Amino acid sequence: MLDRLESLEGMMHNMDKKKLLNKLDYYRIYIIFAIVFILMSLFAPNFLNVFNIVNILKGMSLNAMVAVGFTVVMICGQLDLSIGSNLTLGAMVVIALQPILGWWPSLAVAMIAGSFVGAVNGFLVAKAKIHSFIVTLGTMTIVQGLIFLLSKGSALSVNDFTLADWLEMPKFGFLPPRVIITVSIVLMFFVLIKFTKFGKGFYLVGGNKETAWLAGLNTDLYLILAFILSGLTAALGGALLAMSISSAVPTLGTSSQMVVIAAVIIGGTSMAGGTGDIFRSMIAVIMLVTLFNGLMCCGAGYEVQIFASGLVLAAVVLGESYALYQQDKVKGQRPNLMAELKKGALQ
Amino acid sequence: METSMQANKEKIDVRKREVGKISSIINKLGVYVLVIALMILGTIISPKFLTASNFMNIIQAVSLLGMVAAGVSFITYSGNFVDMSIPCIMAFSGMIAVDTLRYGIVVSIVCGLLTGSAIGLINGIVVGKLKANPIIWTLSVAFVGNGFMRWFYSGKQIYPDVKGGAAADVFINLSRTDVFGRIPLIVIVMITFMVLGQFVMTKTKFGKQVKLIGSSYEVAKMTGINVNKVVCGAFILSALATSIAGIFLTSLAKTGAFYNGEGYDFNAVTAIVIGGMTLNGGRGDVVGVLGGVLVIGLLSNVMTLIGINTFSQSIVKGIIFIAVVGINARSLRKLGRDDA
Repeated sequence: MLDRLESLEGMMHNMDKKKLLNKLDYYRIYIIFAIVFILMSLFAPNFLNVFNIVNILKGMSLNAMVAVGFTVVMICGQLDLSIGSNLTLGAMVVIALQPILGWWPSLAVAMIAGSFVGAVNGFLVAKAKIHSFIVTLGTMTIVQGLIFLLSKGSALSVNDFTLADWLEMPKFGFLPPRVIITVSIVLMFFVLIKFTKFGKGFYLVGGNKETAWLAGLNTDLYLILAFILSGLTAALGGALLAMSISSAVPTLGTSSQMVVIAAVIIGGTSMAGGTGDIFRSMIAVIMLVTLFNGLMCCGAGYEVQIFASGLVLAAVVLGESYALYQQDKVKGQRPNLMAELKKGALQ
Repeated sequence: METSMQANKEKIDVRKREVGKISSIINKLGVYVLVIALMILGTIISPKFLTASNFMNIIQAVSLLGMVAAGVSFITYSGNFVDMSIPCIMAFSGMIAVDTLRYGIVVSIVCGLLTGSAIGLINGIVVGKLKANPIIWTLSVAFVGNGFMRWFYSGKQIYPDVKGGAAADVFINLSRTDVFGRIPLIVIVMITFMVLGQFVMTKTKFGKQVKLIGSSYEVAKMTGINVNKVVCGAFILSALATSIAGIFLTSLAKTGAFYNGEGYDFNAVTAIVIGGMTLNGGRGDVVGVLGGVLVIGLLSNVMTLIGINTFSQSIVKGIIFIAVVGINARSLRKLGRDDA
């Protein structure tokens, strides 16, 4: 009897441990961010001042916006490789059309263009049932080709700097409007996806498509919406960046793609679908930008930044899959019986 | 009443059979329909197309891609999508080979191959044993490797003729050697890889095990196949083929640099998937992959002959890529062989 009780206690202890691990996994991005921030504040010269912090926030606004849509696509269990070229498309369209249409109409056109690419992606994935990796790889090539074809490979710029000045001029003491706009849009989508009935559908579709369908969700529509959102936020992010520097280059999105994919995964969104959220993705983007910035303060070049972010990503992926591997090992075992076996059944 | 029902039944059956016929033709011939169509198109467009030297050019242009695709197809076959660290493996093995040239050509090539295989081994262990997502893991390996190379060589290129001495000439001429008079060595190596790959994939125990793992992981595990080992083997095989291509590429470019091999990852996926392999694994063969590689070569050759510029070429390539995969997936679904 006493043994039984003890083993029951052992089980409870095990469950507590599991819960704790789960919690740790959920909050891991905050822990990583805190570690990076503290290390950089201690060791990087000129890191901890308002000017530099604002710089970090400015640096994250492009990728945080792009990460919104990418996170939703990943929650649905899909992949979108076209975010980089979508971002460039948004930036190029805004700058190319500004002299003809003015800022706001060209921004609208850019957002429509991004959504259109996303809609094509979503339609091909949901209705034609082609793997999202292939579809988005194809549209990435197509959009990139279109951009180079229309711009002839050269950078575009406009002479109107009024909007750029307004976007970069600090408000409320230190925050520029670009950062405020980005953060508020990210938070809006975070609430929409995480806390509304409509948004929770994305998690259901990603977690188990069949169950979602049986529960009465229009799964195809959800998939298409996820891709449209991804195209929209990518184009919007690119457009905002282009508006704040009044110019755009056709190779804008290449480095961004890598940062966004890394950040979303480090932020705890799994590629199997059904988990993750937009806020943690944003924190992960800030973490990576902090890492880059801090390393730059230490005098390290671009190569060290890639190396470091790659190491962080690799460590996170490795840790995650090792935890799953351990879980798989004891899957279906009853810990109390195992404990009894270990204790004395073999004697 | 009964007869009409029977007639109806037969009608349905006939239609089903016809649909099946078209789909199975598409399924069997697959990518070679596209190869033949492109050849006909090329012949109509230009008299320069149907010459031996032009064909040799086409094959030579895609021979490195062919080597990579033949290896990577094993990863796709085992249901692990693709190795995104292909460019990293190619660049790294090339750079190590150049760096060790001073110890002689044999040591240099062996070191290059070992470097590539080591990356493949790491990928194989993490994806095979720990079951990490193959795309994400190999992508992070690519970041780490790329960053490491830039950091280690401080972003510089290295040149075999500066590093190597006597062995440098051999290294540089490696990709410029012709065998039997006029056939380049790289073409011979590519064709050897294709033949070997097809043999291993369809005729050996290892190939059958990979197929079973790709078709159904759980079943393969229950059958008693050492799943970890086989997946690991597929990754090492792929990395070995990739690093051989990487050494040839470095020799062709006469420079070892971190950006060597850029784009080979996506091109290899394109070739493999156009060639009739599905990303779910367990379907297709190396003969199809060869067709996919040929399509890529023919496509850019024909478009260049027509006079389409590079940017438009990439648009056309993207459209054809999606369309071919879509048609392929559709025909599989019609035949009832698609599980996705």
